[in-house]
Amino acid sequence: MTLLLGASTVGLILALLALGVYLSFRIFNFPDITADGSITLGAAVTASLLILDWPPALATLAGFFAGMLAGTVTGLLNAKFRINGLLSGILVMTALYSINLHVMGKSNLPLLEETTLVTQSESFFGLLFGPGDVGVFGWEVNQRDAAALCLAGAMVAGVGMILYLFFRTEFGTAMRAAGDNPQMIRALGGSVDFILIFGLAVSNGLIALSGSLLAQYQGFADVQMGIGMVVWGLASVIIGEALVGSKSTGIVITGAIMGSLLFRLIVAIALRWGLDPNDLKLITAVFVFLALVVPGALAGLRSRAGRAR
Amino acid sequence: MLEVYGIGKTFHAGTPNEVFALRDVSFKLLEGSFLIIIGTNGSGKSTLLNAVAGTFSLDRGTVRVSGHNITKWPEHRRAKLIGRVFQNPYSGTAPNMTIAENLSMAARRGLPRGLAWAIPRTLRSELRDRVRTLNMGLEDRLDNDIGTLSGGQRQALTLLMASWLKPDLLLLDEHTAALDPKSADQVIRLTHEIIKRDKLTTLMVTHSMQQAVRLGDRLIMMHRGSILHDIQGAEKARARPEDLLQRFEDVRRREQLDAPVAEMLGKTYV
Repeated sequence: MTLLLGASTVGLILALLALGVYLSFRIFNFPDITADGSITLGAAVTASLLILDWPPALATLAGFFAGMLAGTVTGLLNAKFRINGLLSGILVMTALYSINLHVMGKSNLPLLEETTLVTQSESFFGLLFGPGDVGVFGWEVNQRDAAALCLAGAMVAGVGMILYLFFRTEFGTAMRAAGDNPQMIRALGGSVDFILIFGLAVSNGLIALSGSLLAQYQGFADVQMGIGMVVWGLASVIIGEALVGSKSTGIVITGAIMGSLLFRLIVAIALRWGLDPNDLKLITAVFVFLALVVPGALAGLRSRAGRAR
Repeated sequence: MLEVYGIGKTFHAGTPNEVFALRDVSFKLLEGSFLIIIGTNGSGKSTLLNAVAGTFSLDRGTVRVSGHNITKWPEHRRAKLIGRVFQNPYSGTAPNMTIAENLSMAARRGLPRGLAWAIPRTLRSELRDRVRTLNMGLEDRLDNDIGTLSGGQRQALTLLMASWLKPDLLLLDEHTAALDPKSADQVIRLTHEIIKRDKLTTLMVTHSMQQAVRLGDRLIMMHRGSILHDIQGAEKARARPEDLLQRFEDVRRREQLDAPVAEMLGKTYV
Protein backbone atom coordinates (compact mmCIF):
# COMPACT_ATOMS: atom_id res chain seq x y z
CA MET A 1 0.00 0.00 0.00
CA THR A 2 2.83 2.39 0.90
CA LEU A 3 4.40 1.54 -2.44
CA LEU A 4 1.22 2.41 -4.31
CA LEU A 5 0.71 5.61 -2.35
CA GLY A 6 4.30 6.70 -2.90
CA ALA A 7 4.12 5.90 -6.61
CA SER A 8 0.82 7.78 -6.95
CA THR A 9 2.25 10.83 -5.20
CA VAL A 10 5.29 10.95 -7.47
CA GLY A 11 2.99 10.30 -10.43
CA LEU A 12 0.86 13.29 -9.52
CA ILE A 13 3.87 15.53 -8.91
CA LEU A 14 5.30 14.53 -12.27
CA ALA A 15 1.89 15.20 -13.84
CA LEU A 16 2.86 18.87 -13.58
CA LEU A 17 5.90 18.00 -15.68
CA ALA A 18 3.61 16.20 -18.13
CA LEU A 19 1.39 19.30 -18.40
CA GLY A 20 4.45 21.45 -19.12
CA VAL A 21 5.63 19.01 -21.77
CA TYR A 22 2.11 18.90 -23.23
CA LEU A 23 2.22 22.69 -23.59
CA SER A 24 5.54 22.79 -25.44
CA PHE A 25 5.43 19.54 -27.42
CA ARG A 26 1.75 19.34 -28.23
CA ILE A 27 0.39 22.90 -28.23
CA PHE A 28 3.43 24.48 -29.91
CA ASN A 29 4.97 21.42 -31.51
CA PHE A 30 8.19 22.69 -29.96
CA PRO A 31 10.61 19.98 -28.74
CA ASP A 32 11.65 21.89 -25.64
CA ILE A 33 14.28 19.95 -23.73
CA THR A 34 14.93 22.87 -21.38
CA ALA A 35 12.72 20.73 -19.13
CA ASP A 36 15.66 18.57 -18.02
CA GLY A 37 17.28 21.69 -16.58
CA SER A 38 14.23 23.55 -15.38
CA ILE A 39 12.88 20.68 -13.27
CA THR A 40 16.19 20.69 -11.38
CA LEU A 41 16.14 24.50 -11.27
CA GLY A 42 12.77 24.46 -9.52
CA ALA A 43 14.07 21.92 -7.01
CA ALA A 44 17.32 23.83 -6.48
CA VAL A 45 15.72 27.23 -5.97
CA THR A 46 13.06 25.92 -3.60
CA ALA A 47 15.54 23.83 -1.62
CA SER A 48 18.02 26.69 -1.22
CA LEU A 49 15.30 29.07 -0.09
CA LEU A 50 13.87 26.53 2.36
CA ILE A 51 17.30 26.20 3.91
CA LEU A 52 17.27 30.00 4.29
CA ASP A 53 14.00 29.48 6.22
CA TRP A 54 11.69 30.99 3.63
CA PRO A 55 8.02 30.03 4.03
CA PRO A 56 7.50 26.87 1.92
CA ALA A 57 4.71 28.42 -0.18
CA LEU A 58 6.93 31.33 -1.20
CA ALA A 59 9.92 29.07 -1.84
CA THR A 60 7.74 26.90 -4.09
CA LEU A 61 6.43 29.94 -5.94
CA ALA A 62 10.00 31.17 -6.41
CA GLY A 63 10.85 27.80 -7.98
CA PHE A 64 7.95 28.24 -10.39
CA PHE A 65 9.11 31.71 -11.42
CA ALA A 66 12.70 30.54 -11.85
CA GLY A 67 11.38 27.96 -14.31
CA MET A 68 9.41 30.65 -16.14
CA LEU A 69 12.61 32.63 -16.50
CA ALA A 70 14.41 29.63 -18.01
CA GLY A 71 11.53 29.10 -20.44
CA THR A 72 11.61 32.76 -21.39
CA VAL A 73 15.30 32.48 -22.30
CA THR A 74 14.65 29.43 -24.50
CA GLY A 75 11.76 31.28 -26.16
CA LEU A 76 13.88 34.37 -26.77
CA LEU A 77 16.71 32.31 -28.29
CA ASN A 78 14.26 30.71 -30.69
CA ALA A 79 11.92 33.61 -31.50
CA LYS A 80 14.27 36.59 -31.44
CA PHE A 81 17.63 35.07 -32.38
CA ARG A 82 16.14 32.47 -34.74
CA ILE A 83 18.09 29.61 -33.16
CA ASN A 84 16.64 26.18 -33.91
CA GLY A 85 14.15 25.17 -31.23
CA LEU A 86 15.91 21.98 -30.20
CA LEU A 87 19.26 23.80 -29.97
CA SER A 88 17.73 26.66 -27.94
CA GLY A 89 16.57 24.09 -25.40
CA ILE A 90 19.94 22.33 -25.35
CA LEU A 91 21.77 25.63 -24.78
CA VAL A 92 19.57 26.65 -21.87
CA MET A 93 19.57 23.16 -20.39
CA THR A 94 23.37 23.05 -20.50
CA ALA A 95 23.68 26.50 -18.97
CA LEU A 96 21.19 25.54 -16.28
CA TYR A 97 23.43 22.70 -15.10
CA SER A 98 26.05 25.23 -13.93
CA ILE A 99 23.39 27.63 -12.68
CA ASN A 100 21.77 24.88 -10.62
CA LEU A 101 25.12 24.02 -9.04
CA HIS A 102 25.60 27.70 -8.18
CA VAL A 103 22.10 27.95 -6.71
CA MET A 104 22.58 24.87 -4.57
CA GLY A 105 26.26 25.47 -3.73
CA LYS A 106 26.87 21.71 -3.94
CA SER A 107 25.49 18.82 -5.92
CA ASN A 108 22.97 17.63 -3.35
CA LEU A 109 20.90 19.53 -0.79
CA PRO A 110 19.13 17.51 1.91
CA LEU A 111 15.86 18.97 3.26
CA LEU A 112 15.16 16.51 6.04
CA GLU A 113 15.35 19.14 8.78
CA GLU A 114 13.42 21.84 6.93
CA THR A 115 9.77 22.84 7.01
CA THR A 116 8.36 22.09 3.56
CA LEU A 117 4.93 22.06 1.98
CA VAL A 118 4.88 18.33 2.68
CA THR A 119 5.67 18.67 6.40
CA GLN A 120 3.14 21.50 6.61
CA SER A 121 0.37 19.43 5.09
CA GLU A 122 1.40 16.58 7.39
CA SER A 123 0.85 18.78 10.45
CA PHE A 124 -2.40 19.98 8.92
CA PHE A 125 -3.46 16.34 8.64
CA GLY A 126 -2.45 15.83 12.25
CA LEU A 127 -4.79 18.64 13.28
CA LEU A 128 -7.64 17.20 11.20
CA PHE A 129 -7.41 13.52 12.07
CA GLY A 130 -5.34 13.51 15.25
CA PRO A 131 -1.93 11.83 15.53
CA GLY A 132 -1.17 8.37 14.23
CA ASP A 133 -2.00 6.56 11.01
CA VAL A 134 -4.96 7.50 8.85
CA GLY A 135 -7.55 4.95 7.82
CA VAL A 136 -8.25 4.94 4.08
CA PHE A 137 -10.76 2.35 2.85
CA GLY A 138 -9.80 0.11 5.73
CA TRP A 139 -6.04 0.47 5.25
CA GLU A 140 -3.90 2.10 7.87
CA VAL A 141 -1.80 4.66 6.04
CA ASN A 142 1.22 6.59 7.25
CA GLN A 143 0.13 10.18 7.85
CA ARG A 144 3.01 11.69 5.86
CA ASP A 145 2.21 9.57 2.81
CA ALA A 146 -1.47 10.45 2.90
CA ALA A 147 -0.74 14.15 3.39
CA ALA A 148 1.76 14.23 0.54
CA LEU A 149 -0.67 12.46 -1.78
CA CYS A 150 -3.43 14.94 -0.99
CA LEU A 151 -1.08 17.89 -1.44
CA ALA A 152 0.11 16.64 -4.82
CA GLY A 153 -3.44 15.83 -5.89
CA ALA A 154 -4.70 19.28 -4.91
CA MET A 155 -1.83 21.02 -6.70
CA VAL A 156 -2.33 19.04 -9.90
CA ALA A 157 -6.10 19.48 -9.84
CA GLY A 158 -5.67 23.22 -9.31
CA VAL A 159 -3.07 23.64 -12.04
CA GLY A 160 -5.03 21.44 -14.46
CA MET A 161 -8.18 23.46 -13.83
CA ILE A 162 -6.40 26.81 -14.29
CA LEU A 163 -4.81 25.53 -17.50
CA TYR A 164 -8.17 24.33 -18.81
CA LEU A 165 -9.84 27.66 -18.05
CA PHE A 166 -6.88 29.56 -19.48
CA PHE A 167 -7.21 27.74 -22.81
CA ARG A 168 -10.75 29.06 -23.08
CA THR A 169 -9.78 32.71 -22.72
CA GLU A 170 -9.00 35.02 -25.62
CA PHE A 171 -5.26 34.75 -25.01
CA GLY A 172 -5.38 31.01 -24.37
CA THR A 173 -7.31 30.42 -27.59
CA ALA A 174 -4.75 32.51 -29.47
CA MET A 175 -2.00 30.38 -27.91
CA ARG A 176 -3.54 27.15 -29.19
CA ALA A 177 -4.00 28.75 -32.59
CA ALA A 178 -0.38 29.91 -32.63
CA GLY A 179 0.64 26.27 -32.34
CA ASP A 180 -1.99 25.01 -34.77
CA ASN A 181 -1.52 27.61 -37.53
CA PRO A 182 0.93 30.45 -36.85
CA GLN A 183 0.25 32.13 -40.20
CA MET A 184 -3.41 32.50 -39.32
CA ILE A 185 -2.90 34.01 -35.88
CA ARG A 186 -0.36 36.46 -37.34
CA ALA A 187 -2.94 37.56 -39.90
CA LEU A 188 -5.40 38.09 -37.05
CA GLY A 189 -2.99 40.28 -35.10
CA GLY A 190 -1.35 37.86 -32.67
CA SER A 191 2.41 38.08 -32.18
CA VAL A 192 3.48 34.46 -32.55
CA ASP A 193 6.89 35.30 -31.03
CA PHE A 194 5.38 36.74 -27.88
CA ILE A 195 2.87 33.91 -27.53
CA LEU A 196 5.59 31.29 -27.96
CA ILE A 197 7.89 32.94 -25.40
CA PHE A 198 5.04 33.23 -22.92
CA GLY A 199 3.94 29.64 -23.54
CA LEU A 200 7.44 28.24 -23.02
CA ALA A 201 7.72 30.32 -19.84
CA VAL A 202 4.52 28.79 -18.46
CA SER A 203 5.58 25.32 -19.61
CA ASN A 204 8.93 25.53 -17.83
CA GLY A 205 7.32 27.19 -14.83
CA LEU A 206 5.08 24.14 -14.42
CA ILE A 207 8.03 21.80 -14.90
CA ALA A 208 10.03 23.70 -12.26
CA LEU A 209 7.03 23.56 -9.95
CA SER A 210 7.04 19.81 -10.42
CA GLY A 211 10.73 19.71 -9.47
CA SER A 212 10.11 21.93 -6.48
CA LEU A 213 7.41 19.60 -5.13
CA LEU A 214 9.49 16.52 -5.93
CA ALA A 215 12.40 17.88 -3.88
CA GLN A 216 10.09 18.61 -0.95
CA TYR A 217 8.51 15.17 -1.18
CA GLN A 218 11.67 13.11 -1.47
CA GLY A 219 13.53 15.38 0.99
CA PHE A 220 16.43 16.51 -1.18
CA ALA A 221 17.37 18.32 -4.36
CA ASP A 222 20.00 16.79 -6.61
CA VAL A 223 21.72 18.34 -9.59
CA GLN A 224 21.25 15.09 -11.57
CA MET A 225 17.54 14.71 -10.91
CA GLY A 226 16.45 16.24 -14.24
CA ILE A 227 18.19 13.81 -16.58
CA GLY A 228 15.72 12.20 -18.96
CA MET A 229 12.71 14.02 -17.55
CA VAL A 230 11.54 15.34 -20.96
CA VAL A 231 11.18 11.78 -22.19
CA TRP A 232 9.38 10.87 -18.99
CA GLY A 233 6.90 13.72 -19.45
CA LEU A 234 6.42 12.88 -23.11
CA ALA A 235 5.72 9.25 -22.24
CA SER A 236 3.03 10.42 -19.80
CA VAL A 237 1.43 12.65 -22.42
CA ILE A 238 1.43 9.84 -24.99
CA ILE A 239 -0.08 7.34 -22.54
CA GLY A 240 -2.66 9.98 -21.63
CA GLU A 241 -3.61 10.50 -25.27
CA ALA A 242 -3.97 6.77 -25.74
CA LEU A 243 -6.15 6.58 -22.62
CA VAL A 244 -8.60 9.32 -23.59
CA GLY A 245 -8.35 9.19 -27.38
CA SER A 246 -9.58 12.74 -27.86
CA LYS A 247 -8.07 16.05 -28.90
CA SER A 248 -10.35 18.22 -26.79
CA THR A 249 -8.21 20.33 -24.46
CA GLY A 250 -9.91 19.54 -21.17
CA ILE A 251 -9.88 15.84 -21.82
CA VAL A 252 -6.26 15.85 -22.97
CA ILE A 253 -5.22 17.68 -19.79
CA THR A 254 -6.99 15.06 -17.70
CA GLY A 255 -5.40 12.40 -19.87
CA ALA A 256 -1.88 13.72 -19.31
CA ILE A 257 -2.43 13.64 -15.54
CA MET A 258 -3.83 10.12 -15.71
CA GLY A 259 -0.99 9.09 -18.01
CA SER A 260 1.64 10.32 -15.56
CA LEU A 261 -0.08 8.51 -12.70
CA LEU A 262 -0.45 5.28 -14.63
CA PHE A 263 3.09 5.36 -15.97
CA ARG A 264 4.53 5.83 -12.50
CA LEU A 265 2.42 2.98 -11.13
CA ILE A 266 3.52 0.65 -13.92
CA VAL A 267 7.13 1.55 -13.25
CA ALA A 268 6.73 1.00 -9.50
CA ILE A 269 5.23 -2.43 -10.12
CA ALA A 270 7.93 -3.32 -12.65
CA LEU A 271 10.63 -2.30 -10.18
CA ARG A 272 8.93 -4.41 -7.53
CA TRP A 273 9.03 -7.39 -9.90
CA GLY A 274 12.77 -7.00 -10.15
CA LEU A 275 13.37 -4.57 -13.03
CA ASP A 276 16.90 -3.17 -12.73
CA PRO A 277 16.47 0.56 -11.90
CA ASN A 278 19.45 1.29 -14.16
CA ASP A 279 17.38 0.13 -17.14
CA LEU A 280 14.52 2.49 -16.38
CA LYS A 281 15.54 5.34 -18.67
CA LEU A 282 16.37 2.95 -21.51
CA ILE A 283 12.95 1.36 -21.21
CA THR A 284 11.25 4.76 -21.06
CA ALA A 285 13.07 5.88 -24.21
CA VAL A 286 12.19 2.67 -26.04
CA PHE A 287 8.60 3.05 -24.92
CA VAL A 288 8.37 6.60 -26.32
CA PHE A 289 10.01 5.42 -29.55
CA LEU A 290 7.44 2.65 -29.94
CA ALA A 291 4.57 4.99 -29.06
CA LEU A 292 5.73 7.39 -31.77
CA VAL A 293 6.36 4.79 -34.46
CA VAL A 294 3.84 2.01 -33.96
CA PRO A 295 0.61 3.95 -34.69
CA GLY A 296 2.07 5.20 -38.00
CA ALA A 297 3.39 1.76 -38.92
CA LEU A 298 0.04 0.16 -38.12
CA ALA A 299 -1.78 2.71 -40.30
CA GLY A 300 0.71 2.00 -43.09
CA LEU A 301 0.13 -1.75 -42.81
CA ARG A 302 -3.62 -1.25 -42.79
CA SER A 303 -3.62 0.90 -45.94
CA ARG A 304 -1.27 -1.55 -47.66
CA ALA A 305 -3.59 -4.40 -46.70
CA GLY A 306 -6.52 -2.33 -48.01
CA ARG A 307 -4.77 -1.80 -51.34
CA ALA A 308 -3.87 -5.49 -51.64
CA ARG A 309 -7.54 -6.32 -51.36
CA MET B 1 -7.21 54.03 -48.44
CA LEU B 2 -3.96 52.41 -49.59
CA GLU B 3 -0.93 54.35 -50.81
CA VAL B 4 2.05 52.47 -52.16
CA TYR B 5 4.98 54.67 -53.06
CA GLY B 6 8.16 53.62 -54.85
CA ILE B 7 8.42 50.20 -53.26
CA GLY B 8 11.17 47.81 -54.32
CA LYS B 9 12.32 44.37 -53.29
CA THR B 10 15.16 42.23 -54.55
CA PHE B 11 15.37 38.67 -53.32
CA HIS B 12 18.79 36.96 -53.00
CA ALA B 13 20.49 40.26 -53.88
CA GLY B 14 24.07 39.89 -55.09
CA THR B 15 23.77 36.15 -55.83
CA PRO B 16 23.25 34.35 -59.15
CA ASN B 17 19.63 33.77 -58.04
CA GLU B 18 18.94 37.49 -57.77
CA VAL B 19 15.27 38.27 -58.43
CA PHE B 20 13.96 41.81 -58.89
CA ALA B 21 10.56 41.00 -57.47
CA LEU B 22 9.32 44.58 -57.24
CA ARG B 23 10.84 47.59 -59.02
CA ASP B 24 9.62 51.00 -58.01
CA VAL B 25 5.90 50.25 -57.79
CA SER B 26 3.60 53.16 -56.91
CA PHE B 27 -0.18 53.50 -56.89
CA LYS B 28 -2.93 54.94 -54.79
CA LEU B 29 -6.16 53.11 -54.04
CA LEU B 30 -9.09 55.25 -52.93
CA GLU B 31 -11.38 54.35 -50.06
CA GLY B 32 -13.96 51.76 -51.13
CA SER B 33 -12.35 50.86 -54.43
CA PHE B 34 -11.72 47.30 -55.50
CA LEU B 35 -8.44 46.69 -57.29
CA ILE B 36 -7.69 43.52 -59.23
CA ILE B 37 -4.09 42.56 -59.90
CA ILE B 38 -3.19 40.18 -62.69
CA GLY B 39 0.11 39.16 -64.21
CA THR B 40 2.15 36.23 -65.46
CA ASN B 41 3.91 33.85 -63.10
CA GLY B 42 6.73 35.65 -61.32
CA SER B 43 5.40 39.05 -62.34
CA GLY B 44 5.40 40.19 -58.72
CA LYS B 45 1.65 40.28 -58.14
CA SER B 46 1.72 38.12 -55.02
CA THR B 47 4.93 39.82 -53.86
CA LEU B 48 3.12 43.16 -54.08
CA LEU B 49 0.29 41.82 -51.97
CA ASN B 50 2.70 40.34 -49.42
CA ALA B 51 4.59 43.64 -49.27
CA VAL B 52 1.37 45.32 -48.20
CA ALA B 53 0.61 42.48 -45.74
CA GLY B 54 4.10 42.76 -44.26
CA THR B 55 5.36 39.23 -44.88
CA PHE B 56 8.86 40.60 -45.63
CA SER B 57 10.62 43.92 -45.21
CA LEU B 58 10.97 46.22 -48.22
CA ASP B 59 14.25 47.48 -49.65
CA ARG B 60 12.77 50.89 -50.49
CA GLY B 61 9.52 52.78 -50.60
CA THR B 62 6.61 53.30 -48.24
CA VAL B 63 3.21 51.71 -47.69
CA ARG B 64 0.43 53.71 -46.07
CA VAL B 65 -3.00 52.45 -45.05
CA SER B 66 -5.63 54.97 -43.91
CA GLY B 67 -2.93 57.53 -43.25
CA HIS B 68 -0.73 55.22 -41.14
CA ASN B 69 2.76 54.65 -42.44
CA ILE B 70 2.93 50.89 -41.90
CA THR B 71 6.17 50.27 -43.81
CA LYS B 72 8.06 49.27 -40.66
CA TRP B 73 5.14 47.59 -38.86
CA PRO B 74 5.47 43.84 -38.26
CA GLU B 75 2.92 41.61 -39.93
CA HIS B 76 0.79 41.01 -36.83
CA ARG B 77 0.49 44.73 -36.08
CA ARG B 78 -0.82 45.41 -39.59
CA ALA B 79 -3.71 43.06 -38.83
CA LYS B 80 -5.32 45.98 -37.01
CA LEU B 81 -5.97 47.55 -40.43
CA ILE B 82 -5.80 44.63 -42.83
CA GLY B 83 -7.92 41.50 -43.30
CA ARG B 84 -6.43 38.67 -45.36
CA VAL B 85 -7.50 35.58 -47.25
CA PHE B 86 -4.75 33.28 -48.48
CA GLN B 87 -4.41 31.21 -51.63
CA ASN B 88 -4.20 27.99 -49.63
CA PRO B 89 -7.65 27.36 -48.12
CA TYR B 90 -5.93 25.70 -45.15
CA SER B 91 -3.80 28.73 -44.26
CA GLY B 92 -6.52 30.96 -42.91
CA THR B 93 -7.94 28.73 -40.20
CA ALA B 94 -6.60 26.57 -37.35
CA PRO B 95 -7.60 22.99 -38.28
CA ASN B 96 -7.66 21.44 -34.81
CA MET B 97 -9.88 24.14 -33.32
CA THR B 98 -13.61 24.48 -33.66
CA ILE B 99 -15.43 26.79 -36.07
CA ALA B 100 -16.58 28.88 -33.12
CA GLU B 101 -13.06 29.20 -31.71
CA ASN B 102 -11.65 30.21 -35.08
CA LEU B 103 -14.33 32.84 -35.59
CA SER B 104 -13.91 34.15 -32.03
CA MET B 105 -10.32 34.98 -32.83
CA ALA B 106 -11.41 36.93 -35.89
CA ALA B 107 -13.75 38.92 -33.64
CA ARG B 108 -10.56 40.14 -31.85
CA ARG B 109 -8.50 40.82 -34.99
CA GLY B 110 -5.88 43.43 -34.15
CA LEU B 111 -7.31 43.96 -30.65
CA PRO B 112 -5.51 43.06 -27.42
CA ARG B 113 -6.27 39.53 -26.22
CA GLY B 114 -6.71 39.17 -22.50
CA LEU B 115 -8.17 36.71 -20.02
CA ALA B 116 -11.81 37.30 -20.91
CA TRP B 117 -13.69 34.24 -22.20
CA ALA B 118 -12.96 33.69 -25.86
CA ILE B 119 -16.59 32.82 -26.64
CA PRO B 120 -19.02 34.66 -24.35
CA ARG B 121 -22.71 33.90 -24.75
CA THR B 122 -23.41 37.11 -26.69
CA LEU B 123 -20.72 36.29 -29.23
CA ARG B 124 -22.08 32.77 -29.69
CA SER B 125 -25.44 33.96 -30.98
CA GLU B 126 -23.70 36.47 -33.24
CA LEU B 127 -21.49 33.67 -34.59
CA ARG B 128 -24.55 31.62 -35.41
CA ASP B 129 -26.28 34.52 -37.18
CA ARG B 130 -23.31 35.48 -39.26
CA VAL B 131 -22.38 31.93 -40.21
CA ARG B 132 -25.98 31.37 -41.29
CA THR B 133 -25.54 34.09 -43.96
CA LEU B 134 -23.06 31.78 -45.70
CA ASN B 135 -25.90 29.36 -46.48
CA MET B 136 -23.68 26.35 -45.93
CA GLY B 137 -25.46 24.86 -42.94
CA LEU B 138 -22.39 25.45 -40.81
CA GLU B 139 -24.32 27.31 -38.10
CA ASP B 140 -25.26 23.94 -36.58
CA ARG B 141 -21.69 22.70 -36.63
CA LEU B 142 -20.00 25.51 -34.70
CA ASP B 143 -18.37 23.05 -32.30
CA ASN B 144 -16.88 20.86 -35.02
CA ASP B 145 -13.19 21.13 -35.78
CA ILE B 146 -12.70 23.38 -38.78
CA GLY B 147 -10.27 20.82 -40.20
CA THR B 148 -13.20 18.52 -40.98
CA LEU B 149 -14.62 20.99 -43.52
CA SER B 150 -13.93 21.19 -47.26
CA GLY B 151 -11.55 23.72 -48.76
CA GLY B 152 -14.44 25.79 -50.10
CA GLN B 153 -16.17 25.92 -46.73
CA ARG B 154 -12.94 26.86 -44.99
CA GLN B 155 -12.22 29.59 -47.52
CA ALA B 156 -15.73 31.00 -47.08
CA LEU B 157 -15.18 31.05 -43.32
CA THR B 158 -11.77 32.69 -43.77
CA LEU B 159 -13.43 35.39 -45.84
CA LEU B 160 -16.03 35.88 -43.13
CA MET B 161 -13.23 36.07 -40.56
CA ALA B 162 -11.15 38.58 -42.54
CA SER B 163 -14.16 40.89 -42.77
CA TRP B 164 -15.64 40.17 -39.31
CA LEU B 165 -14.42 43.52 -38.01
CA LYS B 166 -14.51 45.87 -40.98
CA PRO B 167 -10.90 46.06 -42.20
CA ASP B 168 -9.46 49.28 -43.69
CA LEU B 169 -8.05 47.07 -46.41
CA LEU B 170 -8.94 43.55 -47.54
CA LEU B 171 -6.23 41.47 -49.22
CA LEU B 172 -7.27 38.47 -51.33
CA ASP B 173 -4.38 36.36 -52.63
CA GLU B 174 -5.73 34.14 -55.45
CA HIS B 175 -8.13 32.90 -52.84
CA THR B 176 -10.12 30.68 -55.21
CA ALA B 177 -7.18 29.26 -57.17
CA ALA B 178 -7.00 26.05 -55.13
CA LEU B 179 -10.76 25.38 -55.13
CA ASP B 180 -12.88 23.29 -57.46
CA PRO B 181 -14.92 25.41 -59.96
CA LYS B 182 -18.19 25.15 -58.03
CA SER B 183 -16.67 26.15 -54.68
CA ALA B 184 -14.68 28.88 -56.42
CA ASP B 185 -17.90 30.35 -57.84
CA GLN B 186 -19.53 30.22 -54.44
CA VAL B 187 -16.58 31.94 -52.75
CA ILE B 188 -16.41 34.60 -55.48
CA ARG B 189 -20.12 35.34 -55.08
CA LEU B 190 -19.60 35.70 -51.34
CA THR B 191 -16.54 37.91 -51.89
CA HIS B 192 -18.59 40.18 -54.13
CA GLU B 193 -21.44 40.38 -51.60
CA ILE B 194 -19.25 41.17 -48.60
CA ILE B 195 -17.17 43.78 -50.40
CA LYS B 196 -20.25 45.50 -51.78
CA ARG B 197 -22.15 45.38 -48.49
CA ASP B 198 -19.32 46.73 -46.33
CA LYS B 199 -17.82 48.96 -49.09
CA LEU B 200 -14.41 47.44 -48.40
CA THR B 201 -11.23 48.78 -49.94
CA THR B 202 -9.92 45.63 -51.57
CA LEU B 203 -6.81 44.38 -53.30
CA MET B 204 -7.29 41.05 -55.03
CA VAL B 205 -4.72 39.02 -56.91
CA THR B 206 -6.13 36.58 -59.42
CA HIS B 207 -5.02 34.46 -62.36
CA SER B 208 -8.56 34.18 -63.71
CA MET B 209 -9.34 36.58 -66.55
CA GLN B 210 -13.05 35.96 -65.97
CA GLN B 211 -12.78 37.19 -62.38
CA ALA B 212 -10.54 40.07 -63.48
CA VAL B 213 -13.18 41.49 -65.80
CA ARG B 214 -16.21 40.63 -63.71
CA LEU B 215 -14.99 41.98 -60.39
CA GLY B 216 -13.46 45.25 -59.26
CA ASP B 217 -13.43 48.80 -60.52
CA ARG B 218 -9.75 48.97 -61.35
CA LEU B 219 -7.25 46.56 -62.81
CA ILE B 220 -3.46 46.51 -62.63
CA MET B 221 -1.41 44.23 -64.82
CA MET B 222 2.04 43.45 -63.45
CA HIS B 223 5.08 42.33 -65.38
CA ARG B 224 8.61 41.70 -64.10
CA GLY B 225 8.00 43.54 -60.87
CA SER B 226 6.48 46.66 -62.44
CA ILE B 227 3.01 47.90 -63.28
CA LEU B 228 2.48 47.37 -67.01
CA HIS B 229 -1.14 48.53 -67.36
CA ASP B 230 -3.43 50.37 -65.00
CA ILE B 231 -7.03 50.25 -66.25
CA GLN B 232 -9.80 52.15 -64.49
CA GLY B 233 -13.29 53.54 -64.89
CA ALA B 234 -15.09 53.06 -68.19
CA GLU B 235 -12.15 51.27 -69.74
CA LYS B 236 -12.21 48.69 -66.91
CA ALA B 237 -15.95 48.25 -67.28
CA ARG B 238 -15.51 47.59 -71.04
CA ALA B 239 -12.61 45.17 -70.64
CA ARG B 240 -13.14 41.62 -71.90
CA PRO B 241 -11.07 38.52 -71.13
CA GLU B 242 -9.83 38.45 -74.75
CA ASP B 243 -8.43 41.98 -74.42
CA LEU B 244 -6.47 41.01 -71.35
CA LEU B 245 -5.21 37.83 -72.98
CA GLN B 246 -4.16 39.90 -75.98
CA ARG B 247 -2.11 42.13 -73.71
CA PHE B 248 -0.40 39.07 -72.22
CA GLU B 249 0.29 37.87 -75.74
CA ASP B 250 1.89 41.25 -76.55
CA VAL B 251 4.14 40.89 -73.56
CA ARG B 252 5.12 37.39 -74.59
CA ARG B 253 5.98 38.48 -78.13
CA ARG B 254 8.00 41.39 -76.83
CA GLU B 255 9.98 39.02 -74.60
CA GLN B 256 11.10 37.08 -77.66
CA LEU B 257 12.82 40.11 -79.20
CA ASP B 258 16.46 40.83 -78.59
CA ALA B 259 17.12 42.05 -75.09
CA PRO B 260 18.27 45.61 -76.03
CA VAL B 261 15.37 46.08 -78.42
CA ALA B 262 12.97 44.74 -75.82
CA GLU B 263 14.34 47.12 -73.26
CA MET B 264 14.00 50.06 -75.65
CA LEU B 265 10.46 49.01 -76.59
CA GLY B 266 9.72 48.43 -72.95
CA LYS B 267 10.65 51.97 -72.08
CA THR B 268 8.40 53.47 -74.72
CA TYR B 269 5.65 50.98 -74.04
CA VAL B 270 5.51 51.44 -70.28
